Amino acid sequence: MLFNSIEFLFFLPLVFGLYWFVFKQNVRVQNIFLIFASYLFYGWWDWRFLLLIFLSTLVDFFVGQRIYKNIDDRKKARYWLWASMAFNIGMLGFFKYSNFFVDSFIDMFHAIGYDIKSTWTLKVILPVGISFYTFQTMSYSFDIYYKKLTPSKNFIAFTAFVSFFPQLVAGPIERASNLLSQIINRRSFSYVQASGGIKLILWGLFKKMVIADSLAPIVDDIFANYGTYPASTLILGVCLFSFQVYGDFSGYSDIAIGTAKLFGIELMSNFKFPNFSRNVAEYWQRWHVSLSTWFRHYLYIPMGGSRVSKAKSVRNIIVIFLVSGFWHGANWTFIFWGGLHALFYIPVFLMGRNRMYANNVVGEKSLFPTPVEILQVLLTFALVTFSRIFFRSPSLTDSFQYMNRIATNFTYEPYAHPMGYRMLDFYILLALFVVYEYLIRKDERNPFKFKSKIVRFLLYTAVILTMLLFFDDGVNRSFIYFQF
Amino acid sequence: MKKFLIRIVAYIFLILVVIEVLVRVFHLYTEDPPRFIDKLDVEKRVPGHKGYAVTGNRNQNFSEFNINEAGFNSHREFTPSKVKYEIALIGDSFIEGFHQDYYDSTGKKIEQQLNGVEVYEYGYAGYDLANQLHLMHSYKDEFELIDEIIVYLNYESDLERAEYEPNFGRITMLSSTVFKIRDNIKLLAYGSKIGILEPVKKLITGQGSENTSEDPEPEDEYEITPDMEQEYLENFKNLVRLYGFDKCKTTILLDSRKTSTSFLDYCEANNFKYIDFASKFEDASKPVTLIYDWHWNNHGRELIAECIVDFIKTRKNRDNCN
Repeated sequence: MLFNSIEFLFFLPLVFGLYWFVFKQNVRVQNIFLIFASYLFYGWWDWRFLLLIFLSTLVDFFVGQRIYKNIDDRKKARYWLWASMAFNIGMLGFFKYSNFFVDSFIDMFHAIGYDIKSTWTLKVILPVGISFYTFQTMSYSFDIYYKKLTPSKNFIAFTAFVSFFPQLVAGPIERASNLLSQIINRRSFSYVQASGGIKLILWGLFKKMVIADSLAPIVDDIFANYGTYPASTLILGVCLFSFQVYGDFSGYSDIAIGTAKLFGIELMSNFKFPNFSRNVAEYWQRWHVSLSTWFRHYLYIPMGGSRVSKAKSVRNIIVIFLVSGFWHGANWTFIFWGGLHALFYIPVFLMGRNRMYANNVVGEKSLFPTPVEILQVLLTFALVTFSRIFFRSPSLTDSFQYMNRIATNFTYEPYAHPMGYRMLDFYILLALFVVYEYLIRKDERNPFKFKSKIVRFLLYTAVILTMLLFFDDGVNRSFIYFQF
Repeated sequence: MKKFLIRIVAYIFLILVVIEVLVRVFHLYTEDPPRFIDKLDVEKRVPGHKGYAVTGNRNQNFSEFNINEAGFNSHREFTPSKVKYEIALIGDSFIEGFHQDYYDSTGKKIEQQLNGVEVYEYGYAGYDLANQLHLMHSYKDEFELIDEIIVYLNYESDLERAEYEPNFGRITMLSSTVFKIRDNIKLLAYGSKIGILEPVKKLITGQGSENTSEDPEPEDEYEITPDMEQEYLENFKNLVRLYGFDKCKTTILLDSRKTSTSFLDYCEANNFKYIDFASKFEDASKPVTLIYDWHWNNHGRELIAECIVDFIKTRKNRDNCN
């Protein structure tokens, strides 16, 4: 079930009503109802994959107990941790990466002169959200292993934690210490929290339906026909893709966080206006925060993080970015994308500027950013956008040809929308969007933070009207990150 | 909780009211003049309606219409006589021309090129050949006074029936309370036009959930099988037999790219004249259809007018037309 579908429009109020009015008295019954709603939500795509979620839940619940039981015997505890990882990564590997490895193996042999018929390639369907919920359950085992958490004895609460529908298919990837504790304890309805949730849902829908969906046909057209377009159009295409993927994914996260608020649950922030980052390190503190911190806590720090020698730290950075790229998809393009980000990140790290902007935003103490900040933001946006050529292209060959065409056909031609719409409408829309996001840049959880009720009301109205003005019935409305 | 629910309902209501006002102020909705079936069983528009037809979410195509006393969108009244030279242009939405200002229609463009000629546009969205021939048959007296009749035939969809039956069901449906509500609440009319209500309709009619897969399967292209070709030809013959077809002054306007060869051969063998605008459209240097729509744009209409004018000017002797 998609957040932006008609089914969800009926599903959410129904689940909300039953949750607060019928099952309110008993937290256990409320959690059973949450599991039912979450499984229904997920099963709307393909009910067969519910078994995978359930298996992942079962394995990590059991393994968590085992790790804790052997917590003082680190060797035994490690075995159990490995068991959890083997199961989750094995499942991920089979469903997401099996064809990639088979194809890469065949290509490798082809390169040295041996042709192998690709009869091994399996017709495996990628279960929606598998990368998200496997990482979430693994974090539970890790936290117990690192003595940050005691395992839950409440299987129902744990099942609700793994399958909690707002964040099940595309995050935020939650930690048990945050989400599970909220699920175990009794929730009470809060007007401020619920109205905040509605506002986030509205803003998320705007980002998805207006920004991402209206740019999608343009980006699809440019990337599909890059061989026929001049450099100006190709640069436009990848810039618009930057906004598309941001609108798509951060929109999803906002809806997820907003929906969770309606059920009295706070999820972690996943996007903190990454387009206003002043260097690549700051970008990774603002983009897909739940994944970045996951890799930081469970991969980078266990490898030594930055507490080892500079050379080893650089190695760790490279590893984390390559793995992060590979997490996104079974394609060399994502590995290159990750590698490119490592290259952008390392100089910032070596100059000691990687934590420089951790606690402030652009234009922290004034309304307008300084000229230096503007240049920093533009440079970071340019670097990140450049890397997206790999992220968006179907293959490495396409990525390099796209870049080659920019370099060799450096001309300008006005771009015409594939469906004939006036491009100026989209440029105005994006300009207004950037300005508005700048105004609200200090609080990603409250996109309508204005004192005046009239201003807020006008903003809600404008947002809904813009959704209508840019609605396109013909656009595929699924979310980009569902494929990961 | 009570406060939350009350505020949600109040906000939704107020927002909808404000958007309704904005949709009206900026005329984002489209108007559809009412339809009826007259005493001769001809389906047409209720005379005397003026308004604007709008295409696209953001008012991208905005055109004025004017329903005349005869019940058709036209810049003039239909007053055929023996002293004037009149051309009747009959067809579906392409001839009705709600996508261009009524004072700049195909008929007007023909009149501008043929001095002293009056063009009567009997266009109505949804007309097929059965509607068209039945119309001519019902208004026989009027059409006897008209000097030239051009019938627009969209071969792919206009020959699906062998006999005319007035569609009372559609008229009843369009005048039902649901449609009246839709037409009066402009936000609903707008939402319906841009397709945002489509999922709701599908859900209500039980057409299942939308396709959320990565690559939705492309719809099959419409293909006319030999059996259908035969059926269309038989329908054509039957319609001509039932309602008549004055070969001396009636000409079919068609696109040979979308028309079967067997039908064209039949027309030629049986002296049914036709104007083929395919080559004009193929050679066009500019697009001939609207950006947001498949109907002819201004250039397309100019080319259609040119085809008709060329045909009238080079009209062969009317003897031997049967």
